[in-house]
Amino acid sequence: MAHVVLKDLVKTYGGFKAVNDVSLTVNDGEFVALVGPSGCGKTTTLNLIAGLIPITSGDIFIGDRVVNDLDPKDRDIAMVFQNYALYPQKSVYMNLAFPLQMRKLPRDEIDKKVREAAKVLDMTQLLERKPRELSGGQQQRVALGRALVRDPAVFLMDEPLSNLDAKLRVQMRSEIKRFHQDLKATIVYVTHDQLEAVTMADRMAVMNGGFLQQYDSPAQVFAHPANMFVASFVGSPAMSLIPLEASTANGGTVLTSAEGWSLPLSQLNARKVLGATTRKIVLGARHSTIKLHKSAAPGAIPAKAYTVEPTGDVTFVQAFLSGAIVNISVVPNIAVTPDEHIWLEFDQERIHLFDGETEMALHAD
Amino acid sequence: MSTIAATVPRGRTRRRVRVDGWRWAGRIFLVFMLLYTALPMIWMLITSIKSGFAAMQFPPQWWPEEPTLASYQKLLDPQNSVGQDFLRFFWNSLFVSTVTTILSVIVAVPAAYAFSRFRFPGRNFLFFAVLLRNMFPAVIFLVPLFILMRAIGLVNTHGSLILTYLTFGLPLAIWLLKGFYDNIPVQLEQAARIDGATRFQAFILIVMPLSTPGIIATAIYSFIGAWNEYIYAYTFLSKNEQLTLPVGIQRFFSENTTDFPGLMAASFMMSVPVVVLFLVLQRYFVRALTEGAVKH
Amino acid sequence: MTIVTGKAETGRRLQPGRSGVLRNVWQHRADYAYVLPAIAVMLVVIAYPIYYTIELSFFKTPPGLQLRDKTFIGFDNYTAILTSPVFWKVTWNTLIWTIGSTFFSFVLGFGAALALHRDFVGRGVLRAILIIPWVISAVAASYIWKWIYHSDFGIIGAVLVGLGLADQPPNFIDNVSTVLPSLIVVNIWREFPFAMIMMMAGLQTVPEQLLRAAEVDGANAWQRFWHVTFPHLRNVSTVTILLLAVANFNSFIIPWIMTGGGPSNASHIWITHIYELAFGRQRWGVASAYSVLLFLMLMVLGYFYVRALAGNERKEGGA
Repeated sequence: MAHVVLKDLVKTYGGFKAVNDVSLTVNDGEFVALVGPSGCGKTTTLNLIAGLIPITSGDIFIGDRVVNDLDPKDRDIAMVFQNYALYPQKSVYMNLAFPLQMRKLPRDEIDKKVREAAKVLDMTQLLERKPRELSGGQQQRVALGRALVRDPAVFLMDEPLSNLDAKLRVQMRSEIKRFHQDLKATIVYVTHDQLEAVTMADRMAVMNGGFLQQYDSPAQVFAHPANMFVASFVGSPAMSLIPLEASTANGGTVLTSAEGWSLPLSQLNARKVLGATTRKIVLGARHSTIKLHKSAAPGAIPAKAYTVEPTGDVTFVQAFLSGAIVNISVVPNIAVTPDEHIWLEFDQERIHLFDGETEMALHAD
Repeated sequence: MSTIAATVPRGRTRRRVRVDGWRWAGRIFLVFMLLYTALPMIWMLITSIKSGFAAMQFPPQWWPEEPTLASYQKLLDPQNSVGQDFLRFFWNSLFVSTVTTILSVIVAVPAAYAFSRFRFPGRNFLFFAVLLRNMFPAVIFLVPLFILMRAIGLVNTHGSLILTYLTFGLPLAIWLLKGFYDNIPVQLEQAARIDGATRFQAFILIVMPLSTPGIIATAIYSFIGAWNEYIYAYTFLSKNEQLTLPVGIQRFFSENTTDFPGLMAASFMMSVPVVVLFLVLQRYFVRALTEGAVKH
Repeated sequence: MTIVTGKAETGRRLQPGRSGVLRNVWQHRADYAYVLPAIAVMLVVIAYPIYYTIELSFFKTPPGLQLRDKTFIGFDNYTAILTSPVFWKVTWNTLIWTIGSTFFSFVLGFGAALALHRDFVGRGVLRAILIIPWVISAVAASYIWKWIYHSDFGIIGAVLVGLGLADQPPNFIDNVSTVLPSLIVVNIWREFPFAMIMMMAGLQTVPEQLLRAAEVDGANAWQRFWHVTFPHLRNVSTVTILLLAVANFNSFIIPWIMTGGGPSNASHIWITHIYELAFGRQRWGVASAYSVLLFLMLMVLGYFYVRALAGNERKEGGA
């Protein structure tokens, strides 16, 4: 296994910058997820690491080698594709053997390794089948097997679970995680599903518009989103972002809504607002940190329930506040009906404040 | 209640009648097309097993009173001069068509692959230039090509035909194959390259086997085109021993204008290789057209 | 702890520089290797002849191919053509030939494709039989039909006489008024299978769900065809018709072998006429001028051809 370093990586197509100055380090044995909406540059970044497309500028290190100009075959990597990319004309056995044949291993060694991998992935009885005779989950497993027979320095995975149905996806998620722990493998994993990134990765790199937005452990990204994009992308349902205006009243700082209500800020939060470049402040709150009252309460803001979605464990309530959608989760025994008047109370300790112009998180310093 | 019950079945019968009407129209039409297609070929076969005398009768003998394979024997007998000529024409056609086919595939495969996979500047222009070749008739190119062939000493050689056939077969060949390559996921090659193959190995080991149906279709198309070509062969070749079948047969029967059984037998023999080839491999051809020409 | 960049810039396009084009070409230099053989062959066999034809069309040429003795005469060849009555006769023939062959080949081919779309016993065999005329050589087809049309021993004449529809076997191809339609029938015989294959392939791409949806919405067989199937086949139809039109416009073998353009030019079309001018009467300059005119006309057809194909390309790109 080896570490991977991206340094000021840029990829342009014509005038379009698909990957923009991305720098990050994947430690030896680390599981890193590249996550973002479609078109954010995550798959391009992965293809650059793989060497499938040439880089425009910057450097890529795998281990201690600069691999900028190396062919994919010389980079000592393995890759699992979204559509699995199993060779349709070859049997499962030959699919697994192909990377070894390309490395000109002796036949008996190939056979040993293929059977070993098949045993690990529990598909010894499938070896003679063609890919089209396998279920989606089995194909996925063959694709993993083909990556692992080679014992590469780095595993690259491009949305490997997105073609599976929901139940299988959850199952394969834990299998891949187990695979990572058993092999101590270095894995770069691309996904558009933040839940996959949060549940599987040691660290996640959130990308948007070709830029790296934040690179940290899932817990840190969840607790301290660097900007409004990350805040709204990570976590489900999404963090509510309410545009407000900061003003000073009675020696304290309050956030005022165009709807007329206002929210006095704690001292710590008031200090954060001081660092803003503008008076426009966006208030962010996760669904579990907002308290819902069925009757007026001190400090709570009046709103009207719009939709109510019971999921069994919790019930999600959506309401409009200052033109933004606010998600609130409540315990199921609190019955809320659509169009009912409700009051929302924000937890000063757990709200996030963002600069309305730069969209960056505000910090107290 | 009773009115509803009365109307429902009537609606149903009317609909069934209409559907059946379409189906019957289709059947009648197919019978007509079958007759239109098959009768001339059947008449060719019947005539070919008549004697010269039996063919020249009015009203014609619908079935020969004395069927004979004499015309076929004459054409296939290497001992007499007719047979010698015919067999030589046959061999020439086979040689020219086979070489053309092999070269077409060798040239068309990489070109189609490039048009499908790479996004190089001028790609669209080149692709349409290749296709535009389809537009222009042989006659336009005939005079200058004749002069060109004379200049490079290819007149009266099979090389002149092979070179020309190559170009008229290429556009459609490239077009068909491109459709095939468009349908092969690029991830397969990427996987192969990561698995340790060079770009070229990925192409040879992974992509080529998958595009076999397309290559077969391209090959049939080139072969049939070359086998049936007339105008260049008619113009470029003058020596009897080099003629291909269409020209050879035409030469021979413009001298023997009344030997219709012989002519029909020769037409039949000339058609056998391509028809057999086509019938055996037609599913590839139809599939190639579906994937290559229609879907994109 | 965290790497933080500025506000996300989504998809901002930068203007590529002038030198970008050359750099782009240079970066893709390896890609051209794949198309080079195809392009090289094309250049030799297409670009050079086109240039040469245009040059010759402005010269008076001696018979024989001693073209070094040619003399420049400007547009004389062109004026000679456009003022000749044969030109207009041949152009009219070409129009009838091209439109008639294309129309009927397409209609018959499309009809056969529709009739063959439904599965029935023997469908594969029938389809194979219907395709055969397209595969066999046009020379063989010409001889077969020449024999069928034969003025003394032809089978059609015999049938007509036998049924009492004619006193004598009609002379189909030695008659100024019947020769062109008779040849068109032969051409359709050879061409309709192509339309059939193309349309069969097209029919396979009509989504079954859409047809079911239309049926649920209460459309009858004809309405389903008109509102679902036919619009879906518009692109295939355009390409097929254009390919047929080009092939028919350029056809040579059938009229050449069956009649040689006669009687009295009644079955001469452009291509046979040009061939006769060049290789029959050795009037290379005039033939070249004809070719250039033909070329210009084909460019017009070609415009639609490329547009139809490009339309398909665009759709593919969007998918």
